[in-house]
Amino acid sequence: MTREGEVHGIPADPSAAISVRGLTKTFGNFTAVDGIDLDVPRGQVFGFLGPNGSGKTTTIRILTGTSAPRRGQALVLGEDVVAHPERVRPRIGYMSQKFALFEDLTVDENLRFYAGVYALDPAVFAARRRYILEMADLQGRERELTRNLSVGWRQRLALGTATIHEPALFFLDAPTSGVDPVARRQFWDLLYELAGRGVTLFVTTHYMEEASHCHRLAFIYRGRIVAEGSPSEIRANLSTQRVYDVTVRDADLALSWLETADGIAEAYLSGAALHAVIDRGVDRGAGALRDRLVAAGFADAVVVSVEPTIEDVFVNLVSRERGA
Amino acid sequence: MSLTRIRLLVWKEFLQLRRDPLLLRLLLLMPIIQLVGFGYVVSVDVRNLPTAVVDLDQTVVSRQLESSFTASGYFLVVARPDAETQLTSLLDTGVAKVALVIPQGTQDLLARGQTAPVGIVVDGSDSQIASVGSGYAAQAIARFNASRTAAFTGSLQAPGIDARTRVVFNPTLDPINTMIPGLVAAILMISLMSIMSQAVVRERESGTLEQMFVTPIRPSEYLIGKVAPYALLAVAQLSVVAAIGMLWFKVPFNGSVWVVFVGLALFLLISVGLGLLVSLISRTRQQAQQALVFIMIPTMVLSGFIFPIESMPEAIQPLTYAVPLRYALTVLRGSFVKGSGFEALATPLWAMVGFAIVIFGAAVIATRRRIAE
Ligand SMILES: Nc1ncnc2c1ncn2[C@@H]1O[C@H](COP(=O)(O)OP(=O)(O)OP(=O)(O)O)[C@@H](O)[C@H]1O
Ligand SMILES: [Mg+2]
Repeated sequence: MTREGEVHGIPADPSAAISVRGLTKTFGNFTAVDGIDLDVPRGQVFGFLGPNGSGKTTTIRILTGTSAPRRGQALVLGEDVVAHPERVRPRIGYMSQKFALFEDLTVDENLRFYAGVYALDPAVFAARRRYILEMADLQGRERELTRNLSVGWRQRLALGTATIHEPALFFLDAPTSGVDPVARRQFWDLLYELAGRGVTLFVTTHYMEEASHCHRLAFIYRGRIVAEGSPSEIRANLSTQRVYDVTVRDADLALSWLETADGIAEAYLSGAALHAVIDRGVDRGAGALRDRLVAAGFADAVVVSVEPTIEDVFVNLVSRERGA
Repeated sequence: MSLTRIRLLVWKEFLQLRRDPLLLRLLLLMPIIQLVGFGYVVSVDVRNLPTAVVDLDQTVVSRQLESSFTASGYFLVVARPDAETQLTSLLDTGVAKVALVIPQGTQDLLARGQTAPVGIVVDGSDSQIASVGSGYAAQAIARFNASRTAAFTGSLQAPGIDARTRVVFNPTLDPINTMIPGLVAAILMISLMSIMSQAVVRERESGTLEQMFVTPIRPSEYLIGKVAPYALLAVAQLSVVAAIGMLWFKVPFNGSVWVVFVGLALFLLISVGLGLLVSLISRTRQQAQQALVFIMIPTMVLSGFIFPIESMPEAIQPLTYAVPLRYALTVLRGSFVKGSGFEALATPLWAMVGFAIVIFGAAVIATRRRIAE
């Protein structure tokens, strides 16, 4: 089933950083990417979200020209990346969660390798090298083996090498997984800096708090885009429902009670607390929910009405999709 | 294709090799240990030795003599040349490993009660075949003489056939002389394949492979950048092994340097290609190791490296044609021991060319298809 043009009803847009129509990728009988349409305007930070195995990496591989789609059109920086990956590659950058540096090469050797690959001329390389060493806080450590750097430094160096050729479009596939929250925040500061210089960023992530850093978001679930828009548009998806934050000592037990309780559309762990989603039609407020919890034996329950987060929307979209 | 990028890839590969202590050990220590360790190999039973019979006598007796050879089951007549001069090419090409020469007048000599000399020529380039073959030949002649003695019941003195065995190519019948050239090939293959089989899969595991293929690096550049450093290493390693073989074990070298060079170069390419292929289709290093063992064991067993192909069950023998090492051994043994030239070794050399083409073709296809997935 091709959904080419179904969502947008317009042809792929060569002026966009990425414009994709009806993109499909199969592995045997399994459809990993199922006819997706995407438009990523230039200069934006585009968040590509989805649970494990939903098809994010597969999509990025097609867009970087390392994997051929079964069907569909993919324009990257105005070029057909499927037919002419070599036209696209010098202008894109890519960073995966593996921080793919050569661990048995030094900081400098890694930089020199990638500079050579992109055929940077010596003057440009010298300037880029200086910039990257400063950005990654690695001045004076140029001759250290990459393997001996700790995670935060390695990640920043990987960012530097992957952007050594100043790409117009930068793909990041779960770049912050396995990185502590402080390093993650620092990393996002660097990404903002890149975005500030006009680089389009296409970022996949599992971390919901990172979604709000993006200009636009797309949710992919089981190979299909289930929602797309700015973070606030996405949140509006939950406008017919209310989200309550439930804090209770015995969270596990409370969760199983909430999951089966009448009138609760959705219940799940959110950080240390629980989130309960209730349709506005049957909602009778935080107090009413607390009373029910106390009656059920959770005397210490604290219930607060909260603004839905991206994660709330996401859980909701997925459960709707499952129900459908 | 960009030379600059290939140079970069080679540079990077050498830097990495230099920093891998395990690899250097694998590269230099392993061959030496193996060379010494495999020094001697148990002798095995040989059947159906390809035999050429030059019957210049063409009599009842000469035919009886021939049948006493074939009846033993150890000799299989594959050629009946008219003249002794044709033996050289038969033995050179390995069509025959043993030759029986029955001179004209053998029956007459025996009838007159005299001793008749016959010639037995044994190819010494495979010392196992040579020693076992000449032993069986002596037995066959003894049997022939015994049956004649039984017929001449009245006679006290029973004159008979006197076998003059001549071993060609490796007159001293030193097993080392045939082992070393084979070992050179086998060791080359083992270490090259094990190193090469890790080369790509390691980069796949670390994610650097994926990273490189979103850059302008092309698959063909990547392949050349991978293979070239290892091919150079193989040459270095080969020199070590060959030097030890020739200086320590004192293996004589009778052949043409060019034949050995071409044969080894082809085999080296095949080994690198096979290792590369294993590396390309494996997802993890462990898988690559398993695949390696899966290839290595039949190679060792079927190539004629450990057991002479002639001693294998007939149903198995056709399988040996699928083993590249078989051809390398033929070329190396032929050239080291017999001094055979390009003409005599054309078949195994072309077979290796064929293998190299198929293997690298498959490697290019595998690179294109499996790089990202
Ligand atoms: N080479 C392949 N062969 C077969 N199936 C594959 C292959 N690559 C990916 N898949 C499958 O396709 C689906 C999508 O995988 P993909 O890696 O794109 O997910 P993802 O969204 O990136 O997940 P994660 O968040 O865990 O990285 C998964 O079910 C995966 O098992
Ligand atoms: Mg992924």
